[in-house]
Amino acid sequence: MSDSVATIIAEARGAGRSLLSEVEAKAALGAAGVPVTTTRLATSPAQATAIAAELGYPVVLKVVSDTITHKSDIGGVELNLADAAAVEAAYARIQVAVEAAAGAAAFGGVSVQPLAAPGVEVIMGMTQDPQFGPVLMFGLGGVLVEVLKDVAFRVVPLEPHDAAEMIREIKGFPVLEGYRGADPADLAALESILLSLSAFATAHPEVQELDLNPILARADGATAVDARIVLTPA
Amino acid sequence: MPISPDRLERVLNPKVIAVVGDKKASGYMWLNALKTFSGNLYSIQVDEKEIEGIAALGVPNFASLTQIPEPVDYVLCAVPRKIAPFIVKDCIAAKVGGVTLFTSGFAETGEDEGLALQDQIGALARDADLLLIGPNCMGIHNPGLGVRFHRDQPHGRSGNVGFISQSGTHGMHFSLVGATRGIYCSKLVSFGNGIILEAADYLDYLANDDATEIIGMYIEGARDGRRFVQALRAAAARKPVVIWKGGQTDAGSTAAQSHTASLASNKAVWDAIVRQAGAISVAGLDELVDVVHALQRTKPGRGNRVGLMAMTGGQSVALADSFAREGWQVPRFADATYAQLAEFFNVIGGSYQNPLDMAGTIMQDASTLDRLFDLMEADPNVDAVAMEISATFAAQRWEKNPQELETLIGSLRRFQERSDKPFVAALHPSYVEQAALNARDQLQAAGLPVFPSFERAANALAKSVALDPALHPARQSSGRKSPGRQSPGPNG
Repeated sequence: MSDSVATIIAEARGAGRSLLSEVEAKAALGAAGVPVTTTRLATSPAQATAIAAELGYPVVLKVVSDTITHKSDIGGVELNLADAAAVEAAYARIQVAVEAAAGAAAFGGVSVQPLAAPGVEVIMGMTQDPQFGPVLMFGLGGVLVEVLKDVAFRVVPLEPHDAAEMIREIKGFPVLEGYRGADPADLAALESILLSLSAFATAHPEVQELDLNPILARADGATAVDARIVLTPA
Repeated sequence: MPISPDRLERVLNPKVIAVVGDKKASGYMWLNALKTFSGNLYSIQVDEKEIEGIAALGVPNFASLTQIPEPVDYVLCAVPRKIAPFIVKDCIAAKVGGVTLFTSGFAETGEDEGLALQDQIGALARDADLLLIGPNCMGIHNPGLGVRFHRDQPHGRSGNVGFISQSGTHGMHFSLVGATRGIYCSKLVSFGNGIILEAADYLDYLANDDATEIIGMYIEGARDGRRFVQALRAAAARKPVVIWKGGQTDAGSTAAQSHTASLASNKAVWDAIVRQAGAISVAGLDELVDVVHALQRTKPGRGNRVGLMAMTGGQSVALADSFAREGWQVPRFADATYAQLAEFFNVIGGSYQNPLDMAGTIMQDASTLDRLFDLMEADPNVDAVAMEISATFAAQRWEKNPQELETLIGSLRRFQERSDKPFVAALHPSYVEQAALNARDQLQAAGLPVFPSFERAANALAKSVALDPALHPARQSSGRKSPGRQSPGPNG
């Protein structure tokens, strides 16, 4: 597992990049035991439809770019694509939008992934604190994290009770308990991801920052649908 | 590199102390503060103009540490910064147990000369494996041995609180203000820049020190963050650790490329560390002293439902609000409690929901207070008990009839002894501040926990009994022994 992560990191470094692509980040985290949506790179509409057929419809396309930070802001994300025609059209729209907004060099193809089952959006992340080393974060995800900042931190390594506590520490915790008749989220699955991230951070000090945003927390598990990994300066 | 506890043991419990460079201009502050030292005290001073005053204090003076005719356990160095490296060399030559550099003007100045001098001193101490406290600090206070750095610090008695402070002022204030609340230190260290011995070393020592049952600390930053976290976790697993973190900022990393990094402010990370270790976070000196006071004088926590005893209707509401804000539930009492209250409680001008509005009952017949406490003890809905003592009502009566205060203290003491439920008293100074202070001292001398406001009582009790067990599992389940109650002393 660590070997494949090390390979991904070495390849990015070799290409002079400190930001892993979504495809790379998910591959690394998937190898570390974090449930992620299977995500593959497509550099042509035909390749995108082939991957979509293999993964099963509906799918999601997102732009792959070394330079773009907020993909959805510039039309770089297309959700809920039901068939091959929709995928081909979406591929073209993303390419046009990205090239218009950021230039032809910014477009590096698209990632293709199955549309994940809905759930409560949560965020998990890791960053290297200059004094204390890696710290993990948990909070409600999506756009809410920026507005409410309802998050909890722990220093790596986490004990299982640390993972349980940080989830329960946020103000929004009742949302995960099944607010207003919704099914309660699978808290054990969330705790398990936090512990996997703790081990991942310990094993890979060359990871400077990491966001899983969002992770969709369902009654029967949780899946990261987007991932960002920033490496330490080489 | 962790320091062997035996070596710190010698420095923190010295039998021989030498003060280097004390002088008239400072009122011989070090030698005067150390008048109470139970061991042998020496002075090192080469300035003829200063030596006369030192002789007048009756302290033997030498020209160099190496001339002192017995091994020196602890050196206090108060020389100018340029002289400091020479004194450090003397400490190494004389094989002293350890040295505090009161001397300042090093890295904290941010200027080149100060940084260079600190590096030089650090290198000297590291090469010789010298235990160096500071620089830029006040050093150690061990009241049991009369070791002090301020002339009003307590002496002649030892306490159960080990205190670690990155600031000399906050360390000094903890010892001085603490004493007014019946809190005494086992050992206190002000460690300043901490270039050799740092917070983790003192934490390791105090965690293993049998005389220390509670650890308090003021800290601004940790040089080796990961080692600090380990030391804090280990210490908090053994005894309560109360932390005041100074200099907290909400700013995250400005270079952040992720939400996580942009939200991971210094404050957020420190809060996480304290929670994760199962330590208790406080925001300032008053809260620090309050929580230690509660830890010393209340029983361990059982739950979050509090029974409240107030003197009037307005204070009943204020008391209930104060406790609710700190996360306490103010439940209905059990039916059996209400049935018994109906037999003797005076409801004219009073009431007995929760809180009990009880002035009309206990001021008519003081023995009813024992009955009320019996009901609180027996009530299954009550995990902890808090009571208002009204100086407004009582000050003049106490003045006329001191026996009345003693009777009250007797009732409180009996309850505190027979009940396993944590109990606190709130005595607001009101407009009769001096009378309230006198009463506070008497209550404290009897070993009772007493706070100057409802809010502070509610907060201290909440923090000391780990009201939020979800956040402090280590404090509930580590088998940490509850701190022993400090014996009442002259200052209470």
